[in-house]
Amino acid sequence: MTRATPPHTGAQLRDWTVASLFALVVALAVFVGHRNHALRARQLELADRAAAEIALGRPPIAEAEAAGIVGAPHPSATHPFLHPRTVTGPTGTRPLGGPSAPAVDKLLYDAAERYDARGPFVELASDGSGHAIAARPGTGGVAVAVIAPESPEGMPWLIILGALGLGAVIAAAGALIGGAARPLGLAIGGALLAIPANGWGGMGATISIVCASLAVTIASGRGTLARAFAGFRTHRVAIAFLAPASLAMFVLVATPFCVGLVLGFFDHQHGQWSFVGLSNFGEILSGGGRAFDDPLNFWFILGVTVVWTAANVFLHVTIGVALAMLLRQAWLPGKGVWRMLLILPWAIPNYITALIWKGMFQGEYGAINALLHAAGLDGVSWFSSWATAFSANVVTNTWLGFPFMMVVAIGALESVPRDFYEAAVVDGATPWQRFIHITLPHLKPALGPAVVLGSIWTFNMFNVIYLVSAGKPGGSTDILVTDAYRWAFERGERYGMAAAYGAIIFLVLLLWTVFGSRIGRREDKS
Amino acid sequence: MIRAPAIGTSAAGGRWLARLIAVLAIVLGLIGCGSSPDGIVLWHAYSGAEREALETLAAEWNSAHPDAPLTLVAVPYDAFADKITSAVPNGNGPDLFVYSHDRIGDWAAAGVIEPIAFWVDDPTADRFQPAALSAMVYDGELWGLPLAVKCLALFYRTDRVTAPPRTTDELFAMVPASRARGAYPLAYVSADLYGHAPWLSGFGGSVLDEHGAVKVATAEAAAALAFSKKLITSGVIPAESTGPLVGTLFNEGKIDMAIQGPWFVGDIAPGVPWAVTTLPIVSETGRPASPFLSAEGVLMSARAHDKQGAFAVMQFLASDHAAVLRATRAHQIVANVHAYDDATLAADPVQRGFRAQLAHAIPIPATPAMRTVWTPYASALAKVQTSDTAPADALYDLESELRRYAQTPDGAR
Repeated sequence: MTRATPPHTGAQLRDWTVASLFALVVALAVFVGHRNHALRARQLELADRAAAEIALGRPPIAEAEAAGIVGAPHPSATHPFLHPRTVTGPTGTRPLGGPSAPAVDKLLYDAAERYDARGPFVELASDGSGHAIAARPGTGGVAVAVIAPESPEGMPWLIILGALGLGAVIAAAGALIGGAARPLGLAIGGALLAIPANGWGGMGATISIVCASLAVTIASGRGTLARAFAGFRTHRVAIAFLAPASLAMFVLVATPFCVGLVLGFFDHQHGQWSFVGLSNFGEILSGGGRAFDDPLNFWFILGVTVVWTAANVFLHVTIGVALAMLLRQAWLPGKGVWRMLLILPWAIPNYITALIWKGMFQGEYGAINALLHAAGLDGVSWFSSWATAFSANVVTNTWLGFPFMMVVAIGALESVPRDFYEAAVVDGATPWQRFIHITLPHLKPALGPAVVLGSIWTFNMFNVIYLVSAGKPGGSTDILVTDAYRWAFERGERYGMAAAYGAIIFLVLLLWTVFGSRIGRREDKS
Repeated sequence: MIRAPAIGTSAAGGRWLARLIAVLAIVLGLIGCGSSPDGIVLWHAYSGAEREALETLAAEWNSAHPDAPLTLVAVPYDAFADKITSAVPNGNGPDLFVYSHDRIGDWAAAGVIEPIAFWVDDPTADRFQPAALSAMVYDGELWGLPLAVKCLALFYRTDRVTAPPRTTDELFAMVPASRARGAYPLAYVSADLYGHAPWLSGFGGSVLDEHGAVKVATAEAAAALAFSKKLITSGVIPAESTGPLVGTLFNEGKIDMAIQGPWFVGDIAPGVPWAVTTLPIVSETGRPASPFLSAEGVLMSARAHDKQGAFAVMQFLASDHAAVLRATRAHQIVANVHAYDDATLAADPVQRGFRAQLAHAIPIPATPAMRTVWTPYASALAKVQTSDTAPADALYDLESELRRYAQTPDGAR
């Protein structure tokens, strides 16, 4: 750009581009809508006229692809769901259907079927092919006419380009004159597409384009747009680096999350969605009209989930810390081997572990009952009562969960200076006192976040519950996330209910995370 | 502030041109992806021998019809139904797809699949096993051509059982001899509606009433439930059997017989002598124990581009020739009865056994209501089999639970 051109002409054209882009999108959208609507109306009108002519016994109009009087169905004696029909047209009567019948005959046949079910109609074929079909009562059957699809008229590029070019000239002229002509030129130049758009989309399109152009003009006058562009230019390297990750987060995390939240306000049954407001949440939180001790009541399931999470996290931490301390003992040989063996349960995919444990809990042939028999005890029917089924789940998940806590504890214990213990021994502290006053405070900073993480994982530990007890007996060992799954996939695709469950689970975990971190902070301060 | 190094105007112009061309290429490429390919596209979830048989058939079709080729797309089974439900109404689905009949009700109601009675005449319909064809019918309309069927039948070890039981009384009579060997006479997946269905029908019960509404709390169903518990308490079957466990027990000789489907053939260890026959008659009622039948069919998308061409492919896949190939290569129990005119198939004991059982098999109702029944029914079965819950109480609770799932949140239904 040379100094000869006033610098604000470039800025004016840039701001005009912003306004015009919006106007262009609106104008194209309203044009397509207008064009399709007009085409559809014309096709339907033709189909209706053609069917009317047929019904009156006249020959079909030239535009009709197929037309005729379709006779009543004649159900087959052996297969009642086969009901062939005939069609009477200008060339006489012929059977409709059969293995090699032409495709357009299917439209005639389907139209007669639809007429028999719902009465006269004029509409576009539901298969998206663009055929217009009309059916009305005729003598001796249903008068049906089919109009072939027509391709819509092309885009009015000449008008659009003309309006854009003229707009650019007006905007540039305003900038060259300067003063009050500058915003006036921008406003008029940016809104010029409103004129053809008015013909395609009516006042709504015009008003939105004009408003957008005015908004851009005001923003331009205040320098907002200039600052935004300058900011963009200054940080473009940072923006370029951030863009892929932001896009991925937006597509993969934010969008499904928002869709999930919104779905909670809808009900889905048999392929139909309907807006139901807060009903799903009401249904869930009211327990579906069931008693509190009913395994299908939300509060019962929430209670089970909380007990499940607490029991597991307690066992994970206790066993994990105990083993970590054991692995620190100087007298233990082969520490590396032990450590590797103890981490193994964590390394194996958890659903495989869950299936193995499920097999071991089998009543007749399972390993655990075999051990009980060998010890002279009676076998247990593990999944016939709540306590035993719940214990089976907890045992499986403890097996899966303690290695993580152990690894975290081993890392934290490495950071405890040995001098502390030596000093404590000199002062005569008992092993228990050393644990309480030295080990535990040092474990806390590492174990705190691990406990929050572990509790979230356990709270949503779908695999163990679904694969080991599968909710037995009678759904009483289900947790929130498995119950949400059942709403989505086993109770008639009630996706809205499942989404509402998801939102509630999210809120519970959000509260717990905020609450947990606050407790941690308060303790740190004290 | 970080600044990009200065670049000459011509180089910058060239770079912009390159970017513009790249963007245009991507846009055009995307438009190209969106356009539909020629010929017929078929989605399936087959693997192994079934997939190979289908691919052989597609190759045959393509060499005979180079102008309207058949393209096969393998789609994972887990995602299959949802993909069809969401892709077809947007015009992105296949022309044809192969799926079990149990979703036909939803897809027909949602306008996802095309009724095909228009192209089918009596000779075409006569080719199919009646129960399999009736599984493809929903709301008085025909929605697909059946390819293969699956149902349970009685597998028995011929080294242990010389004459399989014809009635349930004979089944109970086998207990002492089997238990003396430390084995059970029978095993099946007992805490599961699919496994329990033969007894339910044998006692005259069902899951849905004549209007398609859930009706499970009946005297017949209670008798069947009590019978399933009696099988455990009298030592006919072990409790808590799963599919894999039944296979292991059968191979190890810890059970003499198993109620399983055609897929079980692959689980039987080499060297185990076995045969397949029909399930026994329930002695209390004199009715045959009739298992659920699921039929796998080829269905047409309501958005198929060339429906006439698509139906020609359907007919080819369900033809006598294709059925023989699917049965011999992939061991499918085919729905086309003409295939059994083939000498090899007629002599095949597995095909014969299942074909006999098909005469007494009931298609799983293809309604959305049916799909809500499986898990709660399994739960009721487990409750009765492992605790002292009375069958009638369990069924009453089951019905009240199922009624809740059929209700919309605003109580409209």
